[in-house]
Amino acid sequence: MASSGDEDQVPPGDPVTVSTLVIDAGTKIMQRRLPVKQMNTHVSTFAIYGGDMSRQIETHHYIHRVNDEFLQCAVFASDHSDAPLIGIEYVISDRLYENLPQDEQKLWHSHAYEVKSGSWAYPRLPEVVASPELKNIAKTYGKFWCTWQIDRGDKLPMGAPELMMSPQGVGQGVLRPELVKRRDEKYNISTDELKQRRAEIAEPEWINPMADYWKQHGKCFVLDIVTVEMNRNEKFP
Amino acid sequence: MASSDKVPVACPANHGEGKEPMGDPTKTTTAMLDRGTAMMQSLKPIRQMSLHVCSFACYSHDPGCQIEVHIYGHRVNQDFLQCAVYDSNSSKAHLIGIEYIVSEKLFESLSPEEQKLWHSHDYEIQKALLVTPRVPELVAKPELKNLAKSYGKFWCTWQLDRGDRLPLGVPSLMVSPQDVNLGRIKPELVKKRDEEHGISSESLKPSRDGISGPEKKNLVADYWVRFRKGFALDVVETDMKRTAPFP
Repeated sequence: MASSGDEDQVPPGDPVTVSTLVIDAGTKIMQRRLPVKQMNTHVSTFAIYGGDMSRQIETHHYIHRVNDEFLQCAVFASDHSDAPLIGIEYVISDRLYENLPQDEQKLWHSHAYEVKSGSWAYPRLPEVVASPELKNIAKTYGKFWCTWQIDRGDKLPMGAPELMMSPQGVGQGVLRPELVKRRDEKYNISTDELKQRRAEIAEPEWINPMADYWKQHGKCFVLDIVTVEMNRNEKFP
Repeated sequence: MASSDKVPVACPANHGEGKEPMGDPTKTTTAMLDRGTAMMQSLKPIRQMSLHVCSFACYSHDPGCQIEVHIYGHRVNQDFLQCAVYDSNSSKAHLIGIEYIVSEKLFESLSPEEQKLWHSHDYEIQKALLVTPRVPELVAKPELKNLAKSYGKFWCTWQLDRGDRLPLGVPSLMVSPQDVNLGRIKPELVKKRDEEHGISSESLKPSRDGISGPEKKNLVADYWVRFRKGFALDVVETDMKRTAPFP
């Protein structure tokens, strides 16, 4: 793979030349970037590849709360300024989730365990400020497509997206302790302490059995790239 | 279930009426969190997304199906950008996908199987379909010249144009406008975009003269143009990989 300089560099590439820096500075001043400015909340958490649950990753979600029942998140591999953008997660309320058809529901995961276990954390934010939001998130479901598999060594985003699952308290959903420890040390977080503080957050009365599909069905979902013939009726080219 | 499904399974979320996404307005308590986080958290990766371009994209499985896109990109280095893609440039914009953009040099290092999923950018830049709102052409020129030689891979994760009020189904692979029948952007789409942003694509075209595409035209990118085949994603339920659970 062609790369310049550092062989481990992800992604590969030369440093930015002056001319593109000028436009960056220029654009920062002139453009309002309203959509990305809405992503004003940072969450550190973990996710697991649905198709291979031995692969667990730390994720950094940058969240736009669109309304009381919907969030859209850009997901990065770290919180550094050069963090790779690795996917998108959408988060919806239980009410919206219950109205989805079953085949759609199977693609989503629950958040109750992730919140109550302390995995889902807000770096640099006092827990008391996060508390109302946590009660909301605990009842939601998420759908997370990973578009760049950094953890398997991809220096560029390759192949089709993968469906991700959330940490759970059983079986292959249990996070490896060293993964959690590393996150905790980096961000001065104590997952155990968060878990204790969140004990009073109500468990959802019911988690839909279609969510976290692997738990009760032992199956996962992968995406196949299929070839589609162009419409032969269209004048072409 | 495939990204090429014309209509997802019937449910409230795919009835076209009503706002997208569905959901009640934000409560005060959660609005307060927003203010707290804005003050205390650092949002470094998001702050890097300083490049805004507006263009059009087509569905790989049906290039006649076309959408306006607003791309917010972070130029990570001279050869790579990563971008969040939205359907508009307002604070209410929907996050509809991710696009990665690589230089010719990086693109040539990919396998042909991977290259098939990528598209070129020269046509949309030369025809001023791709514009840089609020940034004068003179300032934008160096970046446009760079982008014109690049290749992109764009996964659309929310088919709003299909009427989906929530992101349903699986991602779709998108392709770029091309100078062939299905790849030319419908004039009414361009007109709507131009009017909304006070732009005239026509009058920008002369400034794009002399902007050239990749040094060597890759024969695998824009796969559908040469081979009349697009790509869609199909979701397959399959056995889980057997690994010993922890502990």
